[in-house]
Amino acid sequence: MSRVFVFDFATPKFRLTSRTQGIWLNLTWLYGINIHVMYSLRVTNVSKHYSATPLLQNISFQLQTGEALAVAGWNGSGKSTLLRIIAGLVKPSAGKVQIFFDNEPISKERKRKLIGMVAPSLAIYEELTALENLEFFCRVRGIPHNREKCLDLMERVGLCEQANKMCRNYSSGMIQRLKLAQALLHNPPLLLLDEPGCNLDSKGMKVVERIILDQRSFGMTVIASNEEREVEYADRVINLSK
Amino acid sequence: MFALTTLIAVSFSIGSFRIGETEKPFLYAVLLWIILVFSALSGLSRSFVKEREAGTIDVLRLSARPQAVFLGKLFFNLTLLLALESIIVPLFILLMEYKIESFGFFAAMIISGGFGLAAGTTVVAAMIAQASARGALFSALSFPLLLPLMITGIKGCERAAIGVGVTGWPEVKISLAYVIIMITMSLLLFPLVWEE
Repeated sequence: MSRVFVFDFATPKFRLTSRTQGIWLNLTWLYGINIHVMYSLRVTNVSKHYSATPLLQNISFQLQTGEALAVAGWNGSGKSTLLRIIAGLVKPSAGKVQIFFDNEPISKERKRKLIGMVAPSLAIYEELTALENLEFFCRVRGIPHNREKCLDLMERVGLCEQANKMCRNYSSGMIQRLKLAQALLHNPPLLLLDEPGCNLDSKGMKVVERIILDQRSFGMTVIASNEEREVEYADRVINLSK
Repeated sequence: MFALTTLIAVSFSIGSFRIGETEKPFLYAVLLWIILVFSALSGLSRSFVKEREAGTIDVLRLSARPQAVFLGKLFFNLTLLLALESIIVPLFILLMEYKIESFGFFAAMIISGGFGLAAGTTVVAAMIAQASARGALFSALSFPLLLPLMITGIKGCERAAIGVGVTGWPEVKISLAYVIIMITMSLLLFPLVWEE
């Protein structure tokens, strides 16, 4: 978390978080000044139907910077679809998903830069090495080509020693770690994690836990899972089975 | 491979002796363009299908601007097509004893035709990547789009072989206009195809 600076004075408290996509300036109890400039996610009456079968009906919630939300539910209850709708990969049948920056709605084009997603349906290029994958997505996202940064991320997810190994030779757990690194490349203020612990061992689960904790300092997290441990990372839970 | 097989089949079955000297410029231009167009149809459809099959299409949709993806795929298809042309066209000339009077015009026609084929097929490849009967759909959708380019290419290559009416390279200009229209329209329409 080299980009986050936290200054704590005895009284008053002063907290400044510097981000590439924008600045979240949070001055609390500073001589009566209270400024909040932050991202928020607003999901309003989202429904999704496949043919005549309703999958999601009138889902609404709001999320602020610093919060994590878990979406739980039976298999086929629409957890992944809800995350794909938030990411903009699937259009909802009704309702809307908006991201706000300091209460200003963000354009569709800019929304892409704010979202990082990990999901079983999102793959990586198996014909490239892990490092090449990250460098490719750096270029695609317009992030200045930075091998050091990619290596830092690989270390963060515990893949540094296998950075130059072809992804087709990776285990499913290693691929999941690489997907996490890929999603974090641009420090997204909104992190969507669909079954984040999928195929991960206990060390991998610690990595996920660390990522979610770090994300709280500057962004929002939506976790779709049925695993009790993963749901516990969140402040609130939406159960789609009800 | 398809292009090479077709070329060899054509050169063996027709050769340079079975066609009269007066028909050669037109018939050779037709044969050359049939080989080029059908090779493009068999190979270029894979550019987006591969992303879908590998599951990387959604990561690209999340990471990149649609126009950037389109231009990337266009340049990939273009490189593939120019590489194909650089092998097939000299071999065709050699095997069929294709006499060309205006070589500059002929080369410009082949290159601009390659640009047109790549531009015309890339956006269709993106459209059919969502469908199930991809192969048949790709040919059915591409053919009407590529027909004007094919007719222009045949006419241009015939003129280049005869060496008459090549001043101002009219077919090359038509072909380049086709490329500009195709790329502009594709850049405008591609986001609609790309984002569900």
